[in-house]
Amino acid sequence: MKAQAGSGLLTIAEKEFFDHIRSKKFLLIFGIFLVIAIVGMIGGITDYNKNLDTYNGHRSVATSSAMPGFFADKPSILSVFGTVATYLVYLGGILGIAMGFDLITKEKESKSLKILLSHPVYRDEVINGKALGGIFALGCALGVVLIISLATLLIYGIIPDTNEMLLIAVFGAVSFLLIFSYFAIALFMSTVSQDSGSALIYTIIIFIALSVLVPTIAQDTVMDTVIGSQPALPQELLDQMQVSVNSTTTMGVFAVKASNAIGGDKDSAGSGAWQKFNQQMQAYWEKRQAVHDSLALFSPSMNYDTVVSGVTATSTGDVINSPGMSAVSFSVSGKQVTDTGDIVGKIAGNVVALLLFPAIFFGLAYVRFMRLDVR
Amino acid sequence: MIQLEHLSKEYNGLPAVSDLTIGIPEGEIFGLLGPNGAGKSTTILMLVGLIQPSSGRCLVDGIDVAKDPIAVKQRIGYMPEDVGFYPTLTAVENLAYFAKLYRMDREPAKKRIAELLALTGLDGVTKEVGGYSKGMRQRLGLAKALLNDPSIIILDEPTANLDPKGVADYRRIITAVAGEGKTVIVSSHILAEVSRISTSVGILSAGRLVAHGAWEDLAETAGQGTHATVTLHIETLDPMPEISRTGILSITYSRDRLKATVVAESDLRDSLAEILIAHGTRLRGLSRESRSLEDLFLSYYEAAA
Repeated sequence: MKAQAGSGLLTIAEKEFFDHIRSKKFLLIFGIFLVIAIVGMIGGITDYNKNLDTYNGHRSVATSSAMPGFFADKPSILSVFGTVATYLVYLGGILGIAMGFDLITKEKESKSLKILLSHPVYRDEVINGKALGGIFALGCALGVVLIISLATLLIYGIIPDTNEMLLIAVFGAVSFLLIFSYFAIALFMSTVSQDSGSALIYTIIIFIALSVLVPTIAQDTVMDTVIGSQPALPQELLDQMQVSVNSTTTMGVFAVKASNAIGGDKDSAGSGAWQKFNQQMQAYWEKRQAVHDSLALFSPSMNYDTVVSGVTATSTGDVINSPGMSAVSFSVSGKQVTDTGDIVGKIAGNVVALLLFPAIFFGLAYVRFMRLDVR
Repeated sequence: MIQLEHLSKEYNGLPAVSDLTIGIPEGEIFGLLGPNGAGKSTTILMLVGLIQPSSGRCLVDGIDVAKDPIAVKQRIGYMPEDVGFYPTLTAVENLAYFAKLYRMDREPAKKRIAELLALTGLDGVTKEVGGYSKGMRQRLGLAKALLNDPSIIILDEPTANLDPKGVADYRRIITAVAGEGKTVIVSSHILAEVSRISTSVGILSAGRLVAHGAWEDLAETAGQGTHATVTLHIETLDPMPEISRTGILSITYSRDRLKATVVAESDLRDSLAEILIAHGTRLRGLSRESRSLEDLFLSYYEAAA
């Protein structure tokens, strides 16, 4: 017999990996996952092609007519993955739960945990090995989905450039984190529950709370109830102003800017009222955004939505310039033209939250398992 | 050599094992006896390193189980009560997985697994373990306990689900491995089973060790060697004769039966029969019983209570 450091961990991880990929529940959910991903991709590609045709039409008009100021973004290939993400946010969660909810309870129920722990392996090797096996299986499942998605793109003649490939990789990584988050929650529930049925029920309750309840609370109507409606425009301003409102919407922040025509420097009283109104409005939306962001941190699904929106709703930066005009970028979504670095910077907070979620639950599962009395 | 020193374990403040001190020499077949809930399994779980003692320590070949459980687990082959395996794997796959955990090389492990499955009568069984009967799982558990060729084999209720042939096979295997100088610890509440193979025993009652030693010594201490009961069944005899002889400690009568408690060395059956026949009755039956194992252990439990 030879002693090899860490070989227990790898042996357990290897067994868990093959247990996962051979299990009927995994194959069934993965099969559904794959079919939905392909259908989503095809739907997304169809939409993308339509948008591309529209864009090309607008572009030809803009460039040939020498009309200044017509700007539009070229549709992004990433928008195709946005369609897949709408399915993945639920089905991925279910896959993660299905793979994790009985990892420990199954061992308790089959009485194999006692046998397993009587071998020369450390307890942390057992829980880490189980997590590692699950991570490999999840990674494989997601890898296959991404490869098939890319293959579908190529079949339709769409070839992503390097920047888009990087963003697709980011999409894959955060999708993995989402699934791993629910896997970690399920694993924790498996360590604290007496049987698989209880573990599954508890995990589903948490899944519903995080993926449905928290986003519902963060919705407009509930938010209005919690923090109140936005400030109304004072009557005196409504009465006196000639309105020219230039409004933009960026990530839920509503900004109102009064032009000089409303009064401005000509009417210091009116200007003061506007300034006050603007401050109230800004404070309101900042508060609202802060509450939303705080809530989002507690929901892997919301973090995932935010990250995926950031990744998939980007333009390519192909700003149309009419001859002789200075380039001004304007995006329908309100986002400025960005590159991969900018996007990653914007979503970093949510990515960190997505990293923290599985880390916390895996940590809890680890501590619980290490203290488990095996009787 | 196994040494348990002042070993105690509490669950939620209730003692499961209390101040257990015991030494088991190398090469011994040691029976850990006691009724359900006596603390046998808890003691074994602490010895195997699956639960931590509340106080005290277990030493295996001088190694503290709590301090170096891996080194101890390398030396031990353990079969738990109600043994469980991975139901979707075959016996070979289960054992191959455990062999990997023992860091056994592939080819020697393959050979060892084949030998053990043949030894336990499971060779040729290719179905998944989920389809095994309890007895088959018990046989596989024994094979698993011997997989790493351990110097110490610990078996918790090993014959609980075995049929008579399985029990006979188990005895043969345990006797054989003990013959190789291995230490075997068998926990059971089936006294007859333990008495047939073990060389010494420890008796637990309510978490406490109430007796420990070789069979003969325990029997002597409990009085098994001093008393026997002679019973004579006769045709009705009235009045019964007064009988007084050396060796008779007490005697009870009914119209058709005489029951005498005698000293163990005396076999008074013939002389008692002669006396009764001389008084004009006929003998229908005659028996002599030493104290049973159950009596022996009950006496320990009662003394402990």
